[in-house]
Amino acid sequence: MAGGQRRNKVLRKNGRSFLYAAWTPYLYIAPALALTVLFSLVSMAISLYVSFHHYDAFAGKSELIGLDNYRRALFSQDSYFPLALKNTTLYVFLSVAGVLTLSLPLALLCNQIRKGQSLFRTLYFLPSITPGVVVALVFFHLFGVWGQLLDHRSTALVALVILGLWSGAGYNMVLFLAGLNEIPGHYYDAAKVDGANEVQQFRHITFPLLRNTLVFVTVMTVIGAYQVFTSVYIMSQGGPERSTEVVAYTIFINAFAVAGQMGYASALAWLLFLAVLVFVIVQMKVFRSRKLYD
Amino acid sequence: MTRSGSSWLRGLSWVIMTVGALVMVYPYLYMVGASFKTRREFSEDKRSLVPPRYQIQERLKHIRGETSAVDAPGADWPLFKNYVDAVRYGKVDRFLGNSALYACVITLVQMFFNVLAAYAFARMDFKGKDVLFGILLSTMMLPPAVLLIPRFLVLSRMGLVDTTWGVFIPSFSGPFGIFLLRQFFLNIPEDLEHAARIDGCASWGILWNVVLPLSKSALITLGLFTFMGAWNMFEWPLVVLSNQDYYPLTVGLSFFQSETRADWPRIFAATVMGSAPLIVLFLAAQRHLVGGISLSGMKT
Repeated sequence: MAGGQRRNKVLRKNGRSFLYAAWTPYLYIAPALALTVLFSLVSMAISLYVSFHHYDAFAGKSELIGLDNYRRALFSQDSYFPLALKNTTLYVFLSVAGVLTLSLPLALLCNQIRKGQSLFRTLYFLPSITPGVVVALVFFHLFGVWGQLLDHRSTALVALVILGLWSGAGYNMVLFLAGLNEIPGHYYDAAKVDGANEVQQFRHITFPLLRNTLVFVTVMTVIGAYQVFTSVYIMSQGGPERSTEVVAYTIFINAFAVAGQMGYASALAWLLFLAVLVFVIVQMKVFRSRKLYD
Repeated sequence: MTRSGSSWLRGLSWVIMTVGALVMVYPYLYMVGASFKTRREFSEDKRSLVPPRYQIQERLKHIRGETSAVDAPGADWPLFKNYVDAVRYGKVDRFLGNSALYACVITLVQMFFNVLAAYAFARMDFKGKDVLFGILLSTMMLPPAVLLIPRFLVLSRMGLVDTTWGVFIPSFSGPFGIFLLRQFFLNIPEDLEHAARIDGCASWGILWNVVLPLSKSALITLGLFTFMGAWNMFEWPLVVLSNQDYYPLTVGLSFFQSETRADWPRIFAATVMGSAPLIVLFLAAQRHLVGGISLSGMKT
Protein backbone atom coordinates (compact mmCIF):
# COMPACT_ATOMS: atom_id res chain seq x y z
CA MET A 1 0.00 0.00 0.00
CA ALA A 2 2.94 2.32 0.66
CA GLY A 3 3.94 2.10 -2.99
CA GLY A 4 0.47 3.12 -4.00
CA GLN A 5 0.71 6.46 -2.20
CA ARG A 6 2.31 8.20 -5.12
CA ARG A 7 -0.38 7.00 -7.50
CA ASN A 8 -2.93 8.16 -5.03
CA LYS A 9 -4.25 10.95 -7.18
CA VAL A 10 -3.92 9.09 -10.45
CA LEU A 11 -7.27 7.45 -10.80
CA ARG A 12 -6.77 4.33 -12.78
CA LYS A 13 -9.01 3.61 -15.69
CA ASN A 14 -9.00 -0.11 -16.15
CA GLY A 15 -10.60 -2.23 -18.88
CA ARG A 16 -13.93 -2.09 -17.14
CA SER A 17 -13.76 1.69 -16.91
CA PHE A 18 -14.28 2.13 -13.20
CA LEU A 19 -12.48 4.86 -11.40
CA TYR A 20 -10.48 3.99 -8.33
CA ALA A 21 -7.03 4.51 -6.98
CA ALA A 22 -4.55 1.64 -7.13
CA TRP A 23 -4.69 1.07 -3.38
CA THR A 24 -8.48 1.20 -3.10
CA PRO A 25 -9.06 -2.55 -3.61
CA TYR A 26 -6.61 -3.34 -0.84
CA LEU A 27 -8.44 -0.95 1.47
CA TYR A 28 -11.69 -2.75 0.67
CA ILE A 29 -10.36 -6.21 1.44
CA ALA A 30 -8.12 -5.19 4.34
CA PRO A 31 -10.49 -5.71 7.31
CA ALA A 32 -11.81 -9.08 6.17
CA LEU A 33 -8.39 -10.30 5.09
CA ALA A 34 -6.64 -9.17 8.27
CA LEU A 35 -9.18 -10.96 10.48
CA THR A 36 -9.11 -14.12 8.42
CA VAL A 37 -5.34 -14.25 8.31
CA LEU A 38 -4.99 -13.62 12.04
CA PHE A 39 -7.78 -15.88 13.25
CA SER A 40 -7.35 -18.67 10.73
CA LEU A 41 -3.91 -18.90 9.19
CA VAL A 42 -1.80 -17.39 11.97
CA SER A 43 -3.93 -19.30 14.45
CA MET A 44 -3.23 -22.57 12.68
CA ALA A 45 0.48 -21.80 12.81
CA ILE A 46 0.29 -20.97 16.51
CA SER A 47 -1.62 -24.17 17.12
CA LEU A 48 1.10 -26.17 15.37
CA TYR A 49 3.82 -24.36 17.32
CA VAL A 50 2.08 -24.94 20.63
CA SER A 51 1.53 -28.61 19.82
CA PHE A 52 5.32 -29.14 19.94
CA HIS A 53 5.49 -27.64 23.42
CA HIS A 54 4.52 -28.44 26.91
CA TYR A 55 2.39 -25.35 27.25
CA ASP A 56 0.76 -23.91 30.32
CA ALA A 57 -1.28 -20.86 29.35
CA PHE A 58 -2.20 -20.08 32.93
CA ALA A 59 1.36 -20.10 34.22
CA GLY A 60 2.69 -18.71 30.93
CA LYS A 61 5.33 -21.45 30.76
CA SER A 62 6.27 -23.30 27.63
CA GLU A 63 8.92 -25.89 26.93
CA LEU A 64 9.85 -27.46 23.60
CA ILE A 65 9.22 -31.20 23.69
CA GLY A 66 9.09 -32.05 19.97
CA LEU A 67 6.65 -34.75 19.03
CA ASP A 68 6.02 -35.92 22.59
CA ASN A 69 2.46 -34.60 22.65
CA TYR A 70 1.63 -36.53 19.49
CA ARG A 71 3.34 -39.66 20.77
CA ARG A 72 1.44 -39.41 24.02
CA ALA A 73 -1.88 -38.87 22.22
CA LEU A 74 -1.43 -41.84 19.92
CA PHE A 75 0.49 -44.43 21.90
CA SER A 76 0.33 -43.67 25.62
CA GLN A 77 -1.60 -46.12 27.78
CA ASP A 78 -3.58 -43.40 29.53
CA SER A 79 -4.50 -41.57 26.33
CA TYR A 80 -8.16 -41.36 25.46
CA PHE A 81 -7.46 -40.09 21.97
CA PRO A 82 -7.62 -43.44 20.12
CA LEU A 83 -10.89 -44.23 21.86
CA ALA A 84 -12.22 -40.72 21.19
CA LEU A 85 -11.24 -40.94 17.52
CA LYS A 86 -12.93 -44.35 17.26
CA ASN A 87 -16.11 -43.02 18.88
CA THR A 88 -16.07 -39.92 16.70
CA THR A 89 -15.55 -41.92 13.52
CA LEU A 90 -18.43 -44.22 14.47
CA TYR A 91 -20.56 -41.14 15.10
CA VAL A 92 -19.58 -39.76 11.68
CA PHE A 93 -20.44 -43.02 9.88
CA LEU A 94 -23.78 -43.34 11.62
CA SER A 95 -24.57 -39.69 10.91
CA VAL A 96 -23.78 -39.98 7.20
CA ALA A 97 -25.75 -43.22 6.93
CA GLY A 98 -28.63 -41.60 8.79
CA VAL A 99 -28.65 -38.49 6.62
CA LEU A 100 -28.65 -40.58 3.43
CA THR A 101 -31.40 -42.92 4.60
CA LEU A 102 -33.49 -40.18 6.19
CA SER A 103 -33.06 -36.78 4.56
CA LEU A 104 -32.85 -38.05 0.99
CA PRO A 105 -36.09 -40.12 1.20
CA LEU A 106 -37.75 -37.21 2.99
CA ALA A 107 -36.78 -34.92 0.15
CA LEU A 108 -38.12 -37.39 -2.44
CA LEU A 109 -41.41 -37.63 -0.53
CA CYS A 110 -41.62 -33.89 0.04
CA ASN A 111 -41.04 -33.38 -3.67
CA GLN A 112 -44.20 -35.39 -4.39
CA ILE A 113 -46.27 -32.96 -2.41
CA ARG A 114 -47.41 -29.78 -4.05
CA LYS A 115 -49.94 -28.30 -1.68
CA GLY A 116 -48.42 -27.78 1.74
CA GLN A 117 -44.83 -28.42 0.73
CA SER A 118 -43.71 -25.10 2.18
CA LEU A 119 -45.45 -25.89 5.47
CA PHE A 120 -43.53 -29.16 5.76
CA ARG A 121 -40.27 -27.45 4.86
CA THR A 122 -40.87 -24.85 7.55
CA LEU A 123 -41.64 -27.42 10.25
CA TYR A 124 -38.70 -29.65 9.33
CA PHE A 125 -36.40 -26.65 9.27
CA LEU A 126 -37.19 -25.45 12.81
CA PRO A 127 -34.40 -27.47 14.53
CA SER A 128 -31.80 -25.80 12.29
CA ILE A 129 -32.61 -22.44 13.81
CA THR A 130 -32.83 -23.63 17.41
CA PRO A 131 -29.68 -23.27 19.53
CA GLY A 132 -27.86 -26.58 19.92
CA VAL A 133 -27.82 -26.08 23.69
CA VAL A 134 -31.63 -25.87 23.79
CA VAL A 135 -32.02 -28.97 21.64
CA ALA A 136 -29.57 -30.89 23.84
CA LEU A 137 -31.36 -29.86 27.06
CA VAL A 138 -34.74 -31.00 25.73
CA PHE A 139 -33.44 -34.30 24.35
CA PHE A 140 -31.60 -34.93 27.60
CA HIS A 141 -35.05 -35.45 29.12
CA LEU A 142 -36.68 -37.05 26.10
CA PHE A 143 -33.98 -39.72 26.01
CA GLY A 144 -34.63 -40.32 29.70
CA VAL A 145 -38.35 -40.74 29.07
CA TRP A 146 -37.73 -43.08 26.11
CA GLY A 147 -35.73 -45.63 28.08
CA GLN A 148 -32.59 -44.13 29.54
CA LEU A 149 -30.76 -44.13 26.21
CA LEU A 150 -28.03 -41.93 27.64
CA ASP A 151 -27.43 -44.17 30.66
CA HIS A 152 -26.09 -47.20 28.80
CA ARG A 153 -22.76 -47.38 27.08
CA SER A 154 -24.24 -49.33 24.18
CA THR A 155 -26.89 -46.71 23.34
CA ALA A 156 -25.48 -43.36 24.42
CA LEU A 157 -23.61 -42.66 21.19
CA VAL A 158 -26.63 -43.74 19.14
CA ALA A 159 -28.73 -41.28 21.15
CA LEU A 160 -26.31 -38.50 20.18
CA VAL A 161 -26.59 -39.55 16.53
CA ILE A 162 -30.39 -39.45 16.76
CA LEU A 163 -30.22 -35.92 18.13
CA GLY A 164 -27.89 -34.90 15.30
CA LEU A 165 -30.16 -36.42 12.69
CA TRP A 166 -33.23 -34.76 14.12
CA SER A 167 -31.42 -31.41 14.11
CA GLY A 168 -30.11 -31.69 10.58
CA ALA A 169 -32.92 -33.59 8.82
CA GLY A 170 -34.77 -30.53 7.57
CA TYR A 171 -31.69 -28.63 6.55
CA ASN A 172 -30.38 -31.54 4.50
CA MET A 173 -33.83 -32.18 3.09
CA VAL A 174 -33.98 -28.63 1.77
CA LEU A 175 -30.58 -29.10 0.13
CA PHE A 176 -31.73 -32.33 -1.53
CA LEU A 177 -34.96 -30.64 -2.65
CA ALA A 178 -32.91 -27.93 -4.31
CA GLY A 179 -30.86 -30.61 -6.07
CA LEU A 180 -34.03 -32.41 -7.21
CA ASN A 181 -35.46 -29.20 -8.64
CA GLU A 182 -32.40 -28.75 -10.82
CA ILE A 183 -33.02 -32.02 -12.67
CA PRO A 184 -34.73 -31.17 -15.97
CA GLY A 185 -38.27 -32.53 -16.12
CA HIS A 186 -37.96 -33.78 -19.70
CA TYR A 187 -35.55 -36.52 -18.58
CA TYR A 188 -38.43 -38.09 -16.73
CA ASP A 189 -40.78 -37.57 -19.65
CA ALA A 190 -38.34 -39.39 -21.92
CA ALA A 191 -37.94 -42.20 -19.37
CA LYS A 192 -41.70 -42.61 -19.15
CA VAL A 193 -42.01 -42.83 -22.91
CA ASP A 194 -39.46 -45.64 -22.73
CA GLY A 195 -41.64 -47.34 -20.10
CA ALA A 196 -39.38 -46.85 -17.07
CA ASN A 197 -41.15 -47.27 -13.74
CA GLU A 198 -40.55 -45.02 -10.76
CA VAL A 199 -37.81 -47.15 -9.23
CA GLN A 200 -35.97 -47.25 -12.54
CA GLN A 201 -36.37 -43.50 -12.92
CA PHE A 202 -34.82 -43.00 -9.50
CA ARG A 203 -31.93 -45.36 -10.23
CA HIS A 204 -31.05 -44.02 -13.64
CA ILE A 205 -32.01 -40.34 -13.50
CA THR A 206 -32.52 -38.97 -10.00
CA PHE A 207 -29.67 -40.66 -8.18
CA PRO A 208 -26.89 -40.01 -10.75
CA LEU A 209 -27.97 -36.42 -11.34
CA LEU A 210 -28.14 -35.74 -7.64
CA ARG A 211 -24.47 -36.59 -7.27
CA ASN A 212 -23.24 -33.04 -6.66
CA THR A 213 -25.77 -32.53 -3.90
CA LEU A 214 -24.89 -35.92 -2.42
CA VAL A 215 -21.20 -35.03 -2.34
CA PHE A 216 -21.91 -31.65 -0.78
CA VAL A 217 -24.26 -33.00 1.89
CA THR A 218 -22.01 -35.90 2.87
CA VAL A 219 -18.87 -33.76 3.02
CA MET A 220 -20.63 -31.14 5.15
CA THR A 221 -22.05 -33.86 7.38
CA VAL A 222 -18.62 -35.43 7.84
CA ILE A 223 -16.95 -32.11 8.68
CA GLY A 224 -19.73 -31.18 11.10
CA ALA A 225 -19.99 -34.61 12.74
CA TYR A 226 -16.26 -34.86 13.36
CA GLN A 227 -16.56 -31.77 15.54
CA VAL A 228 -19.61 -32.79 17.55
CA PHE A 229 -19.32 -31.02 20.89
CA THR A 230 -22.41 -29.26 22.25
CA SER A 231 -24.59 -32.35 22.65
CA VAL A 232 -21.78 -34.25 24.38
CA TYR A 233 -20.96 -31.33 26.67
CA ILE A 234 -24.59 -30.87 27.70
CA MET A 235 -25.93 -34.41 27.74
CA SER A 236 -23.25 -37.00 28.47
CA GLN A 237 -19.87 -35.38 29.30
CA GLY A 238 -18.24 -38.26 27.47
CA GLY A 239 -19.90 -40.94 29.57
CA PRO A 240 -21.12 -43.46 30.48
CA GLU A 241 -17.78 -45.27 30.70
CA ARG A 242 -16.34 -42.95 28.02
CA SER A 243 -18.66 -44.37 25.39
CA THR A 244 -19.37 -40.85 24.11
CA GLU A 245 -15.86 -39.49 24.54
CA VAL A 246 -15.41 -37.60 21.25
CA VAL A 247 -12.35 -35.73 20.05
CA ALA A 248 -13.73 -32.18 20.25
CA TYR A 249 -14.77 -32.84 23.85
CA THR A 250 -11.38 -34.33 24.74
CA ILE A 251 -9.69 -31.26 23.24
CA PHE A 252 -11.92 -28.90 25.18
CA ILE A 253 -11.40 -30.65 28.50
CA ASN A 254 -7.62 -30.89 28.08
CA ALA A 255 -7.23 -27.30 26.94
CA PHE A 256 -9.61 -25.48 29.25
CA ALA A 257 -10.38 -27.70 32.21
CA VAL A 258 -6.99 -29.28 32.97
CA ALA A 259 -4.13 -26.89 33.63
CA GLY A 260 -1.02 -27.09 31.50
CA GLN A 261 -2.41 -29.29 28.76
CA MET A 262 -2.77 -26.74 25.97
CA GLY A 263 0.13 -28.17 24.01
CA TYR A 264 -1.28 -31.65 24.29
CA ALA A 265 -4.76 -30.43 23.34
CA SER A 266 -3.30 -28.62 20.31
CA ALA A 267 -1.69 -31.87 19.17
CA LEU A 268 -5.10 -33.55 19.50
CA ALA A 269 -6.64 -30.74 17.46
CA TRP A 270 -4.11 -31.23 14.67
CA LEU A 271 -4.68 -34.98 14.66
CA LEU A 272 -8.41 -34.29 14.37
CA PHE A 273 -7.78 -31.90 11.50
CA LEU A 274 -5.69 -34.52 9.68
CA ALA A 275 -8.36 -37.16 10.24
CA VAL A 276 -11.05 -34.91 8.76
CA LEU A 277 -8.79 -34.00 5.86
CA VAL A 278 -8.03 -37.64 5.00
CA PHE A 279 -11.68 -38.57 5.28
CA VAL A 280 -12.83 -35.73 3.03
CA ILE A 281 -10.11 -36.37 0.42
CA VAL A 282 -10.95 -40.08 0.26
CA GLN A 283 -14.61 -39.20 -0.03
CA MET A 284 -14.01 -36.77 -2.88
CA LYS A 285 -11.90 -39.37 -4.71
CA VAL A 286 -14.56 -42.04 -4.34
CA PHE A 287 -17.27 -39.77 -5.67
CA ARG A 288 -15.15 -38.30 -8.43
CA SER A 289 -13.99 -41.65 -9.80
CA ARG A 290 -17.55 -42.47 -10.77
CA LYS A 291 -18.35 -40.31 -13.71
CA LEU A 292 -21.88 -40.84 -14.84
CA TYR A 293 -23.81 -38.86 -17.41
CA ASP A 294 -21.13 -36.18 -17.63
CA MET B 1 -39.68 -40.15 -9.23
CA THR B 2 -41.27 -37.13 -10.75
CA ARG B 3 -43.44 -34.45 -9.35
CA SER B 4 -46.39 -35.94 -11.20
CA GLY B 5 -46.08 -39.30 -9.44
CA SER B 6 -49.09 -41.54 -9.03
CA SER B 7 -51.77 -40.50 -6.57
CA TRP B 8 -51.17 -43.33 -4.10
CA LEU B 9 -47.56 -42.25 -3.92
CA ARG B 10 -48.63 -38.72 -3.16
CA GLY B 11 -50.99 -39.96 -0.47
CA LEU B 12 -48.25 -42.05 1.09
CA SER B 13 -45.92 -39.04 0.98
CA TRP B 14 -48.49 -36.99 2.84
CA VAL B 15 -48.86 -39.59 5.57
CA ILE B 16 -45.13 -40.08 6.10
CA MET B 17 -44.34 -36.38 5.95
CA THR B 18 -47.07 -35.67 8.50
CA VAL B 19 -45.71 -38.28 10.88
CA GLY B 20 -42.24 -36.78 10.39
CA ALA B 21 -43.59 -33.31 11.07
CA LEU B 22 -45.00 -34.53 14.38
CA VAL B 23 -41.57 -35.92 15.28
CA MET B 24 -40.08 -32.53 14.44
CA VAL B 25 -42.60 -30.55 16.49
CA TYR B 26 -42.88 -32.89 19.50
CA PRO B 27 -39.71 -31.71 21.33
CA TYR B 28 -40.96 -28.12 21.08
CA LEU B 29 -44.33 -29.07 22.57
CA TYR B 30 -42.52 -30.98 25.30
CA MET B 31 -40.32 -27.98 26.07
CA VAL B 32 -43.22 -25.53 26.24
CA GLY B 33 -45.31 -27.95 28.33
CA ALA B 34 -42.50 -28.58 30.79
CA SER B 35 -41.91 -24.84 31.17
CA PHE B 36 -45.37 -24.50 32.74
CA LYS B 37 -45.03 -27.40 35.18
CA THR B 38 -44.18 -27.06 38.84
CA ARG B 39 -40.99 -28.76 39.98
CA ARG B 40 -43.06 -31.43 41.66
CA GLU B 41 -45.15 -32.05 38.55
CA PHE B 42 -42.05 -32.31 36.42
CA SER B 43 -40.26 -34.76 38.69
CA GLU B 44 -43.33 -36.96 39.07
CA ASP B 45 -44.49 -36.88 35.48
CA LYS B 46 -41.86 -36.34 32.83
CA ARG B 47 -43.99 -37.64 29.96
CA SER B 48 -47.07 -35.47 29.73
CA LEU B 49 -47.11 -32.44 27.47
CA VAL B 50 -49.77 -30.57 29.45
CA PRO B 51 -48.96 -29.86 33.12
CA PRO B 52 -51.14 -32.21 35.24
CA ARG B 53 -52.96 -29.37 36.98
CA TYR B 54 -54.24 -28.16 33.60
CA GLN B 55 -55.25 -31.59 32.25
CA ILE B 56 -58.97 -32.04 31.63
CA GLN B 57 -59.30 -35.35 33.49
CA GLU B 58 -57.61 -33.85 36.56
CA ARG B 59 -59.96 -30.88 36.39
CA LEU B 60 -62.94 -33.24 36.19
CA LYS B 61 -61.63 -35.17 39.18
CA HIS B 62 -61.35 -31.89 41.03
CA ILE B 63 -64.93 -30.99 40.20
CA ARG B 64 -66.10 -34.43 41.37
CA GLY B 65 -64.28 -33.80 44.63
CA GLU B 66 -61.67 -36.55 44.16
CA THR B 67 -57.98 -36.05 44.88
CA SER B 68 -56.41 -34.54 41.80
CA ALA B 69 -53.31 -32.77 40.64
CA VAL B 70 -55.21 -29.52 40.93
CA ASP B 71 -55.09 -29.86 44.72
CA ALA B 72 -51.52 -31.16 44.94
CA PRO B 73 -49.11 -29.09 47.04
CA GLY B 74 -47.72 -26.27 44.94
CA ALA B 75 -50.46 -26.49 42.32
CA ASP B 76 -51.36 -22.88 42.95
CA TRP B 77 -48.15 -22.09 41.03
CA PRO B 78 -49.09 -19.21 38.69
CA LEU B 79 -48.97 -20.03 34.99
CA PHE B 80 -45.99 -17.88 34.06
CA LYS B 81 -44.14 -18.16 37.36
CA ASN B 82 -41.24 -20.12 35.84
CA TYR B 83 -40.75 -17.42 33.23
CA VAL B 84 -40.85 -14.68 35.82
CA ASP B 85 -38.41 -16.59 38.04
CA ALA B 86 -36.07 -17.32 35.15
CA VAL B 87 -35.74 -13.57 34.64
CA ARG B 88 -35.74 -12.65 38.32
CA TYR B 89 -33.32 -15.25 39.66
CA GLY B 90 -31.68 -16.64 36.54
CA LYS B 91 -30.60 -13.40 34.83
CA VAL B 92 -32.26 -14.63 31.64
CA ASP B 93 -33.07 -11.08 30.59
CA ARG B 94 -29.39 -10.23 30.90
CA PHE B 95 -28.35 -13.30 28.86
CA LEU B 96 -30.96 -12.55 26.21
CA GLY B 97 -29.73 -8.97 25.99
CA ASN B 98 -26.16 -10.20 25.60
CA SER B 99 -27.19 -12.67 22.89
CA ALA B 100 -29.04 -9.93 21.03
CA LEU B 101 -26.08 -7.57 21.32
CA TYR B 102 -23.58 -10.18 20.12
CA ALA B 103 -25.80 -11.30 17.25
CA CYS B 104 -26.59 -7.74 16.07
CA VAL B 105 -23.06 -6.37 16.25
CA ILE B 106 -21.46 -9.49 14.73
CA THR B 107 -23.97 -9.49 11.88
CA LEU B 108 -23.61 -5.80 11.06
CA VAL B 109 -19.82 -5.66 11.24
CA GLN B 110 -19.24 -8.97 9.50
CA MET B 111 -21.64 -8.03 6.70
CA PHE B 112 -19.97 -4.64 6.28
CA PHE B 113 -16.50 -6.17 5.98
CA ASN B 114 -17.79 -8.90 3.69
CA VAL B 115 -19.58 -6.50 1.36
CA LEU B 116 -16.41 -4.43 0.94
CA ALA B 117 -14.20 -7.43 0.28
CA ALA B 118 -16.69 -9.16 -1.99
CA TYR B 119 -17.12 -6.03 -4.08
CA ALA B 120 -13.37 -5.63 -4.49
CA PHE B 121 -13.00 -9.27 -5.52
CA ALA B 122 -15.95 -9.05 -7.92
CA ARG B 123 -15.33 -5.73 -9.63
CA MET B 124 -11.77 -4.51 -9.17
CA ASP B 125 -8.44 -5.56 -10.60
CA PHE B 126 -5.40 -5.65 -8.39
CA LYS B 127 -2.18 -7.52 -7.93
CA GLY B 128 -2.47 -10.76 -6.00
CA LYS B 129 -6.25 -10.86 -6.31
CA ASP B 130 -6.48 -14.56 -7.12
CA VAL B 131 -3.98 -15.57 -4.45
CA LEU B 132 -5.73 -13.53 -1.77
CA PHE B 133 -9.11 -14.88 -2.74
CA GLY B 134 -7.70 -18.40 -2.65
CA ILE B 135 -6.37 -17.79 0.86
CA LEU B 136 -9.81 -16.63 2.00
CA LEU B 137 -11.50 -19.63 0.43
CA SER B 138 -9.08 -22.13 1.91
CA THR B 139 -9.79 -20.90 5.44
CA MET B 140 -13.42 -21.97 5.03
CA MET B 141 -12.26 -25.57 5.34
CA LEU B 142 -10.54 -25.13 8.71
CA PRO B 143 -12.49 -26.80 11.51
CA PRO B 144 -13.43 -24.44 14.36
CA ALA B 145 -12.41 -27.11 16.87
CA VAL B 146 -8.80 -26.71 15.73
CA LEU B 147 -8.96 -22.91 15.87
CA LEU B 148 -10.39 -22.80 19.37
CA ILE B 149 -7.11 -22.98 21.31
CA PRO B 150 -4.96 -20.66 19.16
CA ARG B 151 -7.73 -18.06 18.96
CA PHE B 152 -7.92 -18.16 22.73
CA LEU B 153 -4.13 -17.71 22.94
CA VAL B 154 -4.18 -14.77 20.49
CA LEU B 155 -6.94 -13.04 22.42
CA SER B 156 -5.31 -13.65 25.77
CA ARG B 157 -2.12 -12.07 24.35
CA MET B 158 -4.27 -9.09 23.31
CA GLY B 159 -5.74 -9.00 26.82
CA LEU B 160 -9.26 -9.55 25.52
CA VAL B 161 -10.14 -12.81 27.27
CA ASP B 162 -13.32 -12.43 29.33
CA THR B 163 -14.40 -9.27 27.54
CA THR B 164 -17.17 -8.53 25.08
CA TRP B 165 -14.51 -7.81 22.46
CA GLY B 166 -13.16 -11.30 22.93
CA VAL B 167 -16.49 -12.66 21.74
CA PHE B 168 -16.78 -10.14 18.91
CA ILE B 169 -13.45 -9.93 17.16
CA PRO B 170 -12.89 -13.48 15.85
CA SER B 171 -16.57 -13.62 14.88
CA PHE B 172 -16.23 -10.60 12.60
CA SER B 173 -14.53 -12.75 9.97
CA GLY B 174 -16.77 -14.80 7.72
CA PRO B 175 -15.09 -15.94 4.51
CA PHE B 176 -18.18 -17.81 3.40
CA GLY B 177 -20.14 -14.57 3.19
CA ILE B 178 -17.43 -13.02 1.00
CA PHE B 179 -17.60 -15.99 -1.32
CA LEU B 180 -21.38 -15.84 -1.55
CA LEU B 181 -21.66 -12.08 -2.03
CA ARG B 182 -18.93 -12.10 -4.66
CA GLN B 183 -20.90 -14.68 -6.65
CA PHE B 184 -23.97 -12.51 -6.34
CA PHE B 185 -22.19 -9.28 -7.34
CA LEU B 186 -20.70 -11.01 -10.39
CA ASN B 187 -24.22 -11.73 -11.63
CA ILE B 188 -25.30 -8.10 -11.50
CA PRO B 189 -25.17 -6.58 -15.00
CA GLU B 190 -22.21 -4.27 -15.23
CA ASP B 191 -24.08 -1.86 -17.51
CA LEU B 192 -25.92 -0.48 -14.51
CA GLU B 193 -22.63 0.39 -12.90
CA HIS B 194 -21.38 1.98 -16.10
CA ALA B 195 -24.36 4.31 -16.05
CA ALA B 196 -23.61 5.31 -12.48
CA ARG B 197 -19.97 5.82 -13.39
CA ILE B 198 -20.96 8.19 -16.21
CA ASP B 199 -23.01 10.10 -13.68
CA GLY B 200 -19.77 10.59 -11.75
CA CYS B 201 -20.01 7.95 -9.07
CA ALA B 202 -16.77 6.55 -7.68
CA SER B 203 -16.53 2.91 -6.58
CA TRP B 204 -17.81 3.68 -3.08
CA GLY B 205 -20.89 5.44 -4.45
CA ILE B 206 -21.53 2.68 -6.98
CA LEU B 207 -21.34 0.06 -4.27
CA TRP B 208 -23.79 1.82 -1.96
CA ASN B 209 -26.17 3.34 -4.50
CA VAL B 210 -26.26 0.73 -7.24
CA VAL B 211 -24.91 -2.65 -6.20
CA LEU B 212 -26.31 -3.02 -2.68
CA PRO B 213 -29.90 -2.03 -3.50
CA LEU B 214 -29.82 -4.70 -6.22
CA SER B 215 -28.50 -7.31 -3.77
CA LYS B 216 -31.23 -7.00 -1.18
CA SER B 217 -32.28 -10.65 -1.26
CA ALA B 218 -28.73 -11.97 -0.95
CA LEU B 219 -27.99 -9.52 1.87
CA ILE B 220 -31.14 -10.48 3.78
CA THR B 221 -30.41 -14.21 3.45
CA LEU B 222 -26.80 -13.87 4.46
CA GLY B 223 -27.67 -11.45 7.25
CA LEU B 224 -30.24 -13.79 8.73
CA PHE B 225 -27.90 -16.75 8.62
CA THR B 226 -25.10 -14.76 10.19
CA PHE B 227 -27.49 -13.58 12.88
CA MET B 228 -28.65 -17.10 13.64
CA GLY B 229 -25.12 -18.44 13.71
CA ALA B 230 -24.12 -15.70 16.14
CA TRP B 231 -27.20 -16.23 18.32
CA ASN B 232 -26.58 -19.97 18.51
CA MET B 233 -22.81 -19.91 19.06
CA PHE B 234 -21.79 -21.78 22.13
CA GLU B 235 -18.28 -23.18 22.29
CA TRP B 236 -16.42 -19.93 21.64
CA PRO B 237 -18.17 -17.77 24.28
CA LEU B 238 -17.95 -20.74 26.66
CA VAL B 239 -14.18 -20.72 26.24
CA VAL B 240 -13.50 -17.00 26.18
CA LEU B 241 -15.87 -15.78 28.91
CA SER B 242 -15.84 -16.47 32.61
CA ASN B 243 -17.77 -13.45 33.91
CA GLN B 244 -21.45 -14.44 34.03
CA ASP B 245 -22.54 -10.91 33.18
CA TYR B 246 -21.20 -11.35 29.64
CA TYR B 247 -22.74 -14.77 28.95
CA PRO B 248 -24.97 -15.19 25.93
CA LEU B 249 -28.09 -17.26 26.55
CA THR B 250 -26.55 -20.50 25.23
CA VAL B 251 -23.74 -20.44 27.78
CA GLY B 252 -26.07 -19.23 30.52
CA LEU B 253 -28.38 -22.20 29.92
CA SER B 254 -25.53 -24.69 30.14
CA PHE B 255 -24.64 -23.24 33.53
CA PHE B 256 -28.18 -23.51 34.88
CA GLN B 257 -28.05 -27.17 34.01
CA SER B 258 -24.78 -27.78 35.77
CA GLU B 259 -26.14 -26.40 39.05
CA THR B 260 -26.58 -29.20 41.55
CA ARG B 261 -30.28 -28.69 42.11
CA ALA B 262 -31.26 -27.76 38.60
CA ASP B 263 -34.76 -26.28 38.46
CA TRP B 264 -35.82 -27.89 35.19
CA PRO B 265 -39.17 -26.19 34.57
CA ARG B 266 -37.41 -22.86 35.05
CA ILE B 267 -34.64 -23.96 32.66
CA PHE B 268 -37.27 -24.90 30.09
CA ALA B 269 -38.88 -21.49 30.50
CA ALA B 270 -35.46 -20.02 29.70
CA THR B 271 -35.01 -22.28 26.66
CA VAL B 272 -38.39 -21.18 25.33
CA MET B 273 -37.37 -17.55 25.72
CA GLY B 274 -34.03 -18.32 24.08
CA SER B 275 -35.40 -20.06 21.01
CA ALA B 276 -38.59 -18.06 20.45
CA PRO B 277 -36.92 -14.91 19.04
CA LEU B 278 -35.18 -16.91 16.31
CA ILE B 279 -38.31 -18.88 15.44
CA VAL B 280 -40.32 -15.66 15.13
CA LEU B 281 -37.57 -14.15 12.98
CA PHE B 282 -37.48 -17.29 10.87
CA LEU B 283 -41.23 -17.39 10.30
CA ALA B 284 -41.19 -13.72 9.36
CA ALA B 285 -38.41 -14.18 6.84
CA GLN B 286 -38.65 -17.83 5.82
CA ARG B 287 -39.26 -17.07 2.17
CA HIS B 288 -35.76 -15.61 1.98
CA LEU B 289 -34.21 -18.32 4.10
CA VAL B 290 -35.39 -21.56 2.57
CA GLY B 291 -34.89 -20.14 -0.91
CA GLY B 292 -31.50 -18.87 0.21
CA ILE B 293 -30.02 -22.13 1.37
CA SER B 294 -31.28 -23.78 -1.78
CA LEU B 295 -28.98 -21.40 -3.62
CA SER B 296 -26.02 -21.46 -1.36
CA GLY B 297 -26.05 -24.40 1.04
CA MET B 298 -25.57 -22.10 3.98
CA LYS B 299 -25.34 -23.54 7.42
CA THR B 300 -26.21 -21.81 10.62
